[in-house]
Amino acid sequence: MLAVLTAVSVREVGLSGGALVEGIGDIRRLVARMLPPALPELGTSLDLLLETVSIALLGTTLALALSLPLAFLAARNTSPHPAAYGAARAVITAARAIPDLVFALVFVRALGLGALPGVLALGLHSVGMLGKLFADAIEETDRGAREAAASTGAGRLQVITSSVLPQIVPSVVGLFLYRFDINVRLSTVLGFVGAGGIGQQLRATLGNLRYPEAMGTVALIFVLIVGVEVLSVAVRRTLLADEGAGVRDGSVLAFLGRRGRRRQAQVPPTEVAGAIRPPWTVERRWKAAYGVALLAALAMSMGGTGVNPLQVVAAVPDIWGVVQRFWPPDFSSGTDLLIDGMVETVAIGIAATFIGTVLSVPIAFLAAGNIAPARWVYVAARTVIVVVRSIPELILAVVFVAAVGLGPFPGTLALGIGTIGFMAKLLSDALEELPQGPRDALDAVGATRMQQTATAVVPQVTPTLVGQTLYMLDINIRSSVVLGIVGAGGIGFLLVQSIRTLAFERTAAVLLLVFAVVYLVEHLSAWLRRQLI
Amino acid sequence: MMHDGGGHVVRLRGVGKEFGAGRVVALDDVTFDVPSGQLLVLIGLSGSGKSTLLRHLNGLQRPTRGDVEVLGVDVVRARGAALRALRRDVGFIFQGFNLVGRLTCLENVLAGALGRLRLPRYGVLTYSRALRREALEQLDRVGLADRPFQRADTLSGGQQQRVAIARALLQRPRLVVADEPVASLDPESSAQVMDVLFRVCAEDHLTVVCSLHQVELALGYAHRVVGLRDGRQVLDRDARALSSAQAMTVYQRLGADPAEVTGRVLATAGNAGSA
Repeated sequence: MLAVLTAVSVREVGLSGGALVEGIGDIRRLVARMLPPALPELGTSLDLLLETVSIALLGTTLALALSLPLAFLAARNTSPHPAAYGAARAVITAARAIPDLVFALVFVRALGLGALPGVLALGLHSVGMLGKLFADAIEETDRGAREAAASTGAGRLQVITSSVLPQIVPSVVGLFLYRFDINVRLSTVLGFVGAGGIGQQLRATLGNLRYPEAMGTVALIFVLIVGVEVLSVAVRRTLLADEGAGVRDGSVLAFLGRRGRRRQAQVPPTEVAGAIRPPWTVERRWKAAYGVALLAALAMSMGGTGVNPLQVVAAVPDIWGVVQRFWPPDFSSGTDLLIDGMVETVAIGIAATFIGTVLSVPIAFLAAGNIAPARWVYVAARTVIVVVRSIPELILAVVFVAAVGLGPFPGTLALGIGTIGFMAKLLSDALEELPQGPRDALDAVGATRMQQTATAVVPQVTPTLVGQTLYMLDINIRSSVVLGIVGAGGIGFLLVQSIRTLAFERTAAVLLLVFAVVYLVEHLSAWLRRQLI
Repeated sequence: MMHDGGGHVVRLRGVGKEFGAGRVVALDDVTFDVPSGQLLVLIGLSGSGKSTLLRHLNGLQRPTRGDVEVLGVDVVRARGAALRALRRDVGFIFQGFNLVGRLTCLENVLAGALGRLRLPRYGVLTYSRALRREALEQLDRVGLADRPFQRADTLSGGQQQRVAIARALLQRPRLVVADEPVASLDPESSAQVMDVLFRVCAEDHLTVVCSLHQVELALGYAHRVVGLRDGRQVLDRDARALSSAQAMTVYQRLGADPAEVTGRVLATAGNAGSA
């Protein structure tokens, strides 16, 4: 049944052997015209890159400021009332369900072009992830410590700041850095809808057919993303080195693939008798230095983008005005357009997952240290993964649209390639963690390397592969919703159109349909995973 | 620090507690008073209701029936500011220490001052110098003055419990309630923690209600011993007049009827210890 669904989807997005060859030919020709890449005007580029990072930093900070209080309302153990709990959870879910680009489109329409709508878009959308994970962290805090604080006669707020907050600080720091990392990627695309940053330049150069400069811009984006990731991992390592237990390495942070080495907890040397000020240990110096650096970066970002907290507050009435215009949702006109768009979006997701899986499996095997035939193969495969992961799918989609033209085909290809970054990474990690025993046994039997892999490794990793494919399907269908915003097919086109024409009731209708489908797919894929594994 | 004319610090009248709509009876008709300055030890098996009873003394739990009066406050009906004011006067020591492991000893101790402060605090430096000095003095009293800025989770269990005692002392309490303070410690640390706890409480003339597993330990420190079994009071005696064997009857599975046990113990007990 899955095979049939995949075949139908592949046809729906116009993916055939011939089209693939032709499309790849187009892309190669475009890339050929892009080479050698030319650096666009460096001063402007640097300004735009700085603006991109600034938008991400301010957006993430805004999200932090909104998420923390919300998380305390959305955590069972700190929520003052079931109604507050329900409302907070609903806000978080909604923020997560609405793609950042949709927020950006709406805010650009409501507030005009510039960095402010970008900051607000990232800020609000990130609440969906940060709010949820902060609330989870709060729910995992030790109940005893809370009880002890309450037993001293502390009030509700005092209990939170003195016993809950200190326990979640490592999670908050880790997740802030992780989300900042994600937001830098997202903010490289914001310029496409007029919400500031380097995306403007990519759009302009592609629009004017200045392909070498477009390639140069893509290269700059790549360098930026890699740079930020390296920086955030380094910061995380120094800040959270002694918090092994506080950071849930098994979840999102493990995505980065580098586990912070756990230092032995530091016992400060005998202190000056009677000291009532904390000593300046190495750790405390680092923390203070990072704190100062963050404040300086925030100040610079505000200066550079002209976005300040007052503006954000002042924007609230405008935003509220727009939000009100989303109701009631208008399903009346062009229902078939709506359904066609949705079908195409789902088809893109399925086809992209198919391509992505086909591409990921061989790469994953080569990128697993225990299976790769040679060290250089391993390094090369890992490099491919890192490179793919560092180019946002939407940037790929934009480039492919420029090469092949509008439609679902470039979108599918972009998502399919983007899938490698995630899937090949997770799969190769899973391969590396497989026990060595079964392979040794076959080695002893006299099997060749290929035979060992086929007989001892593949069966062991099949459940992981199935689970990840279904998970990727879920993610890819979500991602394909926004492809249409850059002309790469699916229902996103209707979103842009309705927002541009200020038909927000229509936008609401599209979003509701998207929520329903995404919700359905999420549960379906979870159900299938349980059935198959 | 004497309580209102040296009267009763704790007054329990017919206290009953049921969990799950009457399915589990945790406390059944518990009635006794604790006069000011007394050192009362509760003994009984795990699940006999010791922790539940202690948690009623500062309103962490509320009884299904009966009255709980502590320091003249009706705990059953106290809410909000009145309840917080009472909790400030009751230092509570937990079996699991309940420190915030990431924070330093000093900051954990400083949490004991929260009841006196109005605003939320975060970080040692948000507390006044006078309070920090006072917290350091309390750390000194439990023998940990040399490591105020060490993370609490790097201490041994016995040291952590001493930090918790310092935290309770910083509340300037009038009553100290200790729920199995040494149950998770090795014998040597246990003795050390018990020594510290009862020494400082004696120094400050505090009333103490403490639950313990170990009968020997109980007899060594207590003025008075109360035994619980299946949520009922089965023993209430002056510690000096109680032999270890008598105390052990609380733990023996005599018959199915708690009333029978009560009868036997009380028969050998004579006058219950209102010191």
